[in-house]
Amino acid sequence: MIKALGYFIEIIKGSLITTRHFMVNMWFHTLKLFRIKTKRKGAVTIQYPEEKRDIASRHRSLHRLLKREDGKPRCVVCMLCVTVCPSECIYVEAAEDPDPEVQKVPSTFIIDLSRCCFCGFCVEACPEDAIRMDTGQIEFAEYSRDKLIYDLEKLTG
Amino acid sequence: MAKIFIDEREIDVAEGTTILKAAKSAGLNIPHLCYHKAFIPEGTCRMCLVEIEGIPKLELACSTQVRDGMEVSTKSESVIEARKGVLECLLADHPIDCPICDKAGECKLQDYYEEYGLFESEFNEEKEKRQKKIEIGKNLIHDQERCVLCRRCVRFLREITKNEELGVFQRGVHTEVSTYEGILVDNNYSGNLAEICPVGAITDKDFRFKARSWFLQRSESICPLCSRGCNIYVESHQGFSRFSLPKRVYRIRTRENQIINGFWICDKGRYEYSYLDQERLDNIVVNNSQDSHSWPEITSLIAGEIGRLYHMKRSAHIGLILQSWLSNEELFLIDKIFRNDINIEKICFLDPPEEAADDFLLTAERTPNRRGAKELGFDLQPANWEKFLEDVDLLFVFASPIRDDTDFSLLKAALDKIEKTVLFASHNHEINSSFDIVLPMSLIAEKGGSLTNIVGSVQGFSNALDAPGDCRPAWQFLVELGNKLALNIDFYNQFSDPESIREVMKKEISFFREKQ
Repeated sequence: MIKALGYFIEIIKGSLITTRHFMVNMWFHTLKLFRIKTKRKGAVTIQYPEEKRDIASRHRSLHRLLKREDGKPRCVVCMLCVTVCPSECIYVEAAEDPDPEVQKVPSTFIIDLSRCCFCGFCVEACPEDAIRMDTGQIEFAEYSRDKLIYDLEKLTG
Repeated sequence: MAKIFIDEREIDVAEGTTILKAAKSAGLNIPHLCYHKAFIPEGTCRMCLVEIEGIPKLELACSTQVRDGMEVSTKSESVIEARKGVLECLLADHPIDCPICDKAGECKLQDYYEEYGLFESEFNEEKEKRQKKIEIGKNLIHDQERCVLCRRCVRFLREITKNEELGVFQRGVHTEVSTYEGILVDNNYSGNLAEICPVGAITDKDFRFKARSWFLQRSESICPLCSRGCNIYVESHQGFSRFSLPKRVYRIRTRENQIINGFWICDKGRYEYSYLDQERLDNIVVNNSQDSHSWPEITSLIAGEIGRLYHMKRSAHIGLILQSWLSNEELFLIDKIFRNDINIEKICFLDPPEEAADDFLLTAERTPNRRGAKELGFDLQPANWEKFLEDVDLLFVFASPIRDDTDFSLLKAALDKIEKTVLFASHNHEINSSFDIVLPMSLIAEKGGSLTNIVGSVQGFSNALDAPGDCRPAWQFLVELGNKLALNIDFYNQFSDPESIREVMKKEISFFREKQ
């Protein structure tokens, strides 16, 4: 009985908070209607996904692998991203490149995005500026984990 | 004896020792690139400069001999300044392509830069362009840009293999190490060049771009590919938690042992390690079926078979084919169980034929423990197979690993007639299907024990790798078999590891007692 009472008290508390937010926002919107400038503005809901918020310039989003001028990936398989990755979600395999100035190119580059924690350490560790997280793509949810394993082709885009 | 002071520490060393060796004996490391314990010091890299009280200029630690009362300083301001200067000059002509260099992580130049350098380069000019990928041997790739001209490779080929296949050409900034008119380095010890190179100038073709050195875990082992018993490190990759790797072992490196192999191993031992991972058998197979079986169950089954023949006084019908890849301990247990306890006579060895030896380390015997088998009293002469396989009811064959060129034709024909055949194998091989029971065995790198090399040195080793799947070392099976047979329980009960077996061996056999 007392437990049930507690339940109702919480509901009433919650409703009071909702009402307070409603009244406060209503107050600021009404002031705005009368052209009275205030420091605080009334809250506005963004209509996602029709409307989207701007992404900060220093954000971290889906990875991409940069290319050299001739279209080969910049990555030289130094494995520093693999070493530094805290969620161990990167796997790279090297192949020989006929150009003696390049020598080492990736034959496989896999990022398991279902494990990635978007810390950006791979970007920081990369000595060749070959990987960046600046695509601005933040919506890549999938129904199966397999589709979140991105390979070289998908990452170079 | 001379008493010297290095960094105000008093050190007693023999007359004629160099400062670098004296410092090392006291645990002080003086940086050096060109100096190597195996060669006469040449003093080309100038990294080991030290200050000696009373001498106005800095001296080379690698080639200056100690004098009684000498006061050496290895950390004074002028020494650090000189090291920095040497490093700066070396790096000014170095491509600094560590991301693609296989030496990265174990490179001396990298280490010393971390320790003494950490300066911004003041070298704004274009770097000297040289050839970055020259094949100088069947296993070696030379990068002339990375070379710091320490001449270790040249000295190795001059002093150790004595065929002088590399030389130093040109002068000044154009100086380079190269082959003579494109004649490749072709000797059985060429792999050592990649290992002694302090930077990434000479790299292994076999290891090229396979793994980064910091992922590798090195563990001590003994090379089983000939009867020299060279000390080696097995370098294996633990793999990544979410991605599986195609193999475990990425390279074999030398381990210093002045008595047996010095600092070197041959190319056979260095490059023929794929048998550790390829085509491994990792489960017990009975009658070629897919059913799973456990070791205790199979051990009881085999002990039952042996017991039955033994009690029927038919132990003369048990045959045993061994190979000298078995360790001393395993051969000792076989001797105890099969010769002492159940008293069988049909024992022979199926070893690969001898091959050409070279005049340095590689021996003609291509198995590691023939000497050990001989000392334990086994007859190593090739058997008369037809006679041997007559009237055999139960046959045990130890064949881990099986070499592809082993001739099984006679054995295969006889196998069908034998009532029960047991194979101890480590690899999948077509002969496996002809046996009733196939048991997966650990290889030398996956078990503990000891081996006796060609000159009679007994060397202990422990497991460098984990055995795959159900694989077990033969000694473990033999101890359990001895226990299950229950002919001499107290004897087999005392064995829990190879060391305990070796202790008993030492008590019983004078050869092993003297070798310790």
